[in-house]
Amino acid sequence: MRDFSYTRATTIEDARQAALQAGSAILAGGTTLLDLAKCGVNEPDELIDISHIRGLDGISVGESEASIGALAKMSAVADHPLILKVYPAVAQSLSLAASQQLRNMATIGGNLLQRTRCPYFRDPATFSACNKREPGSGCSALGGVTRNHAVLGTSESCIATYPGDLAVALVAFDAVVDLGSRSVPVEEFFLEPGDRPERETVIAPGEVIIGISIPASAAARNSTYLKVRDRQSYEFAAASVAVGLELEADGRIVKDVRIALGGVATKPWRARAVEQALVGKALTEEVILSAARLSMEGAVAHGGNHYKIELAPRVVARALRTLGGLA
Amino acid sequence: MPRTIHLTLDINGKAHPLDVEPRVTLLDALREHLDLTGTKKGCDQGQCGACTCHVDGERVLSCLTLAAQVEGRQVTTIEGIAGDDGTLHAVQKAFLEHDAFQCGYCTPGQIMSAVACIREGHAGSDAEIREYMSGNLCRCGAYNSIVAAVRDAATTIAAGQKAEAA
Amino acid sequence: MTIIEPRKHGSAADGRVGGRLSRFEGELKITGNATYALEYPVENVAHAVLVQSTIAAGRVVSVDASKALAAPGVLLVLTPEDDLGLMTAADWFGNRPENQPFHPLPKVVRYNGESIVAVIAESREQAGEAAKLIRITYEEAPAVADMDDPKASEGKLLDAMTVEWGDAEKALAASPVRIEAEYRTPREYHVAMEPHGLTAGWDGEQLTVWEPSQWTHGMARNYAEWFGIPLDNVRIVSPFIGGGFGSKGVALPYGAVAVAAAKKLGRPVRLAVTRPQNFTSYGGRAATRQTISLGASKDGVLLAIVHRGASETSVYMDYPEQTGAATPILYKVENFSSQSRVVPVNAVTPGALRGPGKNPSAYGIESAIEELAYKLAMDPLELRLKNYADHDYQSGKPWSTRRLREALTEGAEAFGWARRSHEPRSMRDGKSLIGWGIGCGTFPVIRAPSSAMIRVLKNGRVEVVSGAIDMGQGTYTILAQTAAEALGVSIEQVDVVLGDSRLPGSAIAGGSMLAGSITGAVHKTANAAREEIIGLALNDPNSPFRDTGANTLVVSEGRISVASGDGPSMTLPELLSVLGRDELEVTRNTLPDDAQSASDRMNAWTSMGRVQGPTMGDTSMHSWCAHFVEVRVDEDFGTVRVSRMVSAFDCGRLYNPKMVESQWRGGIIMGIGQALLEEGLVDPRNARTINNNVGDYLVPTNSDIPDIQVISVGVPDYEASALGGKGVGEVGIVGVAPAIANAVFHATGKRVRDLPITLEKLM
Repeated sequence: MRDFSYTRATTIEDARQAALQAGSAILAGGTTLLDLAKCGVNEPDELIDISHIRGLDGISVGESEASIGALAKMSAVADHPLILKVYPAVAQSLSLAASQQLRNMATIGGNLLQRTRCPYFRDPATFSACNKREPGSGCSALGGVTRNHAVLGTSESCIATYPGDLAVALVAFDAVVDLGSRSVPVEEFFLEPGDRPERETVIAPGEVIIGISIPASAAARNSTYLKVRDRQSYEFAAASVAVGLELEADGRIVKDVRIALGGVATKPWRARAVEQALVGKALTEEVILSAARLSMEGAVAHGGNHYKIELAPRVVARALRTLGGLA
Repeated sequence: MPRTIHLTLDINGKAHPLDVEPRVTLLDALREHLDLTGTKKGCDQGQCGACTCHVDGERVLSCLTLAAQVEGRQVTTIEGIAGDDGTLHAVQKAFLEHDAFQCGYCTPGQIMSAVACIREGHAGSDAEIREYMSGNLCRCGAYNSIVAAVRDAATTIAAGQKAEAA
Repeated sequence: MTIIEPRKHGSAADGRVGGRLSRFEGELKITGNATYALEYPVENVAHAVLVQSTIAAGRVVSVDASKALAAPGVLLVLTPEDDLGLMTAADWFGNRPENQPFHPLPKVVRYNGESIVAVIAESREQAGEAAKLIRITYEEAPAVADMDDPKASEGKLLDAMTVEWGDAEKALAASPVRIEAEYRTPREYHVAMEPHGLTAGWDGEQLTVWEPSQWTHGMARNYAEWFGIPLDNVRIVSPFIGGGFGSKGVALPYGAVAVAAAKKLGRPVRLAVTRPQNFTSYGGRAATRQTISLGASKDGVLLAIVHRGASETSVYMDYPEQTGAATPILYKVENFSSQSRVVPVNAVTPGALRGPGKNPSAYGIESAIEELAYKLAMDPLELRLKNYADHDYQSGKPWSTRRLREALTEGAEAFGWARRSHEPRSMRDGKSLIGWGIGCGTFPVIRAPSSAMIRVLKNGRVEVVSGAIDMGQGTYTILAQTAAEALGVSIEQVDVVLGDSRLPGSAIAGGSMLAGSITGAVHKTANAAREEIIGLALNDPNSPFRDTGANTLVVSEGRISVASGDGPSMTLPELLSVLGRDELEVTRNTLPDDAQSASDRMNAWTSMGRVQGPTMGDTSMHSWCAHFVEVRVDEDFGTVRVSRMVSAFDCGRLYNPKMVESQWRGGIIMGIGQALLEEGLVDPRNARTINNNVGDYLVPTNSDIPDIQVISVGVPDYEASALGGKGVGEVGIVGVAPAIANAVFHATGKRVRDLPITLEKLM
């Protein structure tokens, strides 16, 4: 790691001011920042440690929404009894991510800023071309080994997969990021790479994530996070899905359904086409299968990742069957 | 010029003064500066769990933690879990009894993880132990014995707590 | 307060050979007090960091180190321009080219990830950051990324590895039932949890290297020859090794760099190879491909095996991964043909990884035999038993011991094989397709001479001393047991000192040859020590036993006494005291009597010159195993999980079943990783291994592993070793991958012939 200075912020205002300085970076759990600093991807001059700021790690679950402070640890949210009850997909997305050690370190705010695992992004010494690291330098992943790269939301500039799980669940349930001076829906917080893959979120210099809120909904209450991967644990998703389902009083017809995909797209991917195909219909095997296929509308494979286009709809279908009692 | 900072770290209940660059991780501070080499470096990038130790009682990876970050917190390493008289922790005993290690390199991390796993209440079943011990890779392949040791130690600890309460 | 009841550690028999003694050095490991190579407190140590090539092939035109040299704390930068004055060392067999310089930081780049520059600074952080400031200018040359590269050759035929008997082609053509298929395995890596590295320090012409070593004496010779100093001037210290699996048996170029830097700086240097650099600083298991043709009669009698194998090697050395190694000895077959090639590619020279040769070989033959079983509509267990090899058809010799039949039948019984339904896709649980498969494994008994020293001390301790190493196999434990039993002392009295090239030499901890070899040496030494003690007791004028009239004495539980029980009885320290001695020291080795010169001994401890293969005697000696696997394959997702496993082994006598079971399971688990997860991914454009870390190169986690039942069906084999054991460490992995592939076929009806069996291959 390049040498840097270390400052502890005691208030969020301190942190905002310090973060305005060029070359400064906010340090919370450190699991992404220090990892990337070791890879040589991040080379901050100054780290502003916000992890000692008090009062930012609260978790409260109310009638209409849940609020989670930016410094709440992933493990604390994953094990929170009310999150487990009211937002099971959110809790599961966290407990299926990383390892317990990392979940004890990583914060919810930091998790939203987790960066891609693209091996070309992570190896600047070997692969100088990476539009995410060095705008305009090119994309080394194109033409390389792409088994884990994205099939949705890609561009000619970047095919790096968004690696996280939590944000997938948050996107499904219309969660909002609190940036202090403004609030942004999580879905809009993340940006597709387009021709500017270095911009991954809308967060602006001097902005710090304060927390997130997740509206309560019947769909969120009846939800699940399904993650498929080569290894049983401690691995990023080959494909994952957060699904929430609310049926009409008749117990047959879909009233509300939320679906978002992970492991297959350049950002947490809300599958609205699937949702629309399901609302108002009785949940049958045929309906599920044909709707699930829509999750891959516009998908583009790059060599080794073609399987994701086959896999993701099956993951969506399985989660729907489970929630709909068809499994 | 290197920007050395002065820290005092609370490790295993003892204050350790330390002058290091801010970029020095807790892992390197332990191993290279404080002669506490029980905590192991397996990958130095948050992927193997060998460097697991406790900060304020929670298991964390010391390779992705700056030494500066934990000033004011309580750090516990493998050197700090046996009794003051050297009595082994129940998890340590169980690891020896069940042969839950071979080369021993991942072992301190496994033990620190196991102690926390039991404390967290994540040792309720073999499946749960497996999942919550999955952040600690063991290439010698002692996983069966690790599960047995954690299960056994959890029972011992629960019995001890019950006896204490009674 | 919490009171924890002391646990019972079994019976006193635990301390004898065959007992289930807990790991002898265990307490050091569970308390963090076992000191590994990079943890020795060495004063004034400087830190070296390697800079590795980012191209696959070419020439280093220039290295601009100016920024690195100007960085804080930097002491030295070594580049290909620096002549370190080293000479090439002997190979494993002791052959040394004359006057051939050795450049551990070469000008010619032969693979991506080759070490080119080293930066040495006051701290590791400073060296690491300065290393990023090194600018290397290359002149690139065309490269062959891997054996599938269109530029790759079909490979060099290795005549020495051709095996033929009968007329395989003709018998195959005449066989009523035939199968032919190609099986492939990718590059696989050791991923020992302790990364490679060393600390090196010079004291005048004396060199000390703290480095994890599977062979302290062999590595000492490497360093001595590189640096042109007497062997006695080099000391390798390696009492604890954080896993090796074949990767830590020889000194490597980075070691030469660190030692040279220490010499230049006049202070100790520590070099930690980073986890990503561990993927290219030494070779893992080579990628392989093999075509196997089997011919059989309609009732399942194997008539012919034709095997054509190839493995990757580097462009600068031929290192075969012998895909034909298990093929000739698993089954009875009258017509056999095997040929092997090596395909040079721009990669680091591959190396030995658990079960070298036998492992990919068994993947081929054990997959093929099940393909044949399905073609014959025959139970795969029945087919294996039907073609059971009554002797070794390759050497023509009888087996020393071969309990593979018992492994198959007892394993099948424990697994419940009889309940299997033969048809693929005929067993399921909801969305999980269930499959059962078998894979047999074998590994040869390899022996090498070894030596040991035993010291009986006045303070009551008995020291067992050897340069042999323990990387988790249990050397400390079984040597304590061996010495305690042979000498007649209690296990609590014994200390075991290992892992130092200054101590008596031994076989390498590799090829499963150490345990059998070193227990033999310790057993011999302990017996000699006991006899010497008895002789002194009977003959020394000061000994109270002199006048007993006994012609021998017994030593038991640390006491020496007359066999009849009458007369004096005293502890060994009491005896030493009356004899007026401080200690008794005995050293023995297992070299032949006519090979005891200093040079014989040196060669025996530092080369493979006296290693004996499995058929060098009158019999053919091997360990054997049969794995029974149940997999659950998600019908939609293609994910495979091993849900149940029973493995039965014939490894002869087990010196300590507790240690052995751990080793077997360890091998099996590595085999599960090999079958389902592990694969080096090479970018075809620059031959870079892009998943060079343990987040992307996946090894099994705890969650991937079910309870594994292991069974011993072996009987003591005293031809294989002095104490009756056969090798344990390598054989466990052999046959696991085909057992899983066979189970996956049974579950899904899909035959995956290229490892690993990842989900996209089954969707």
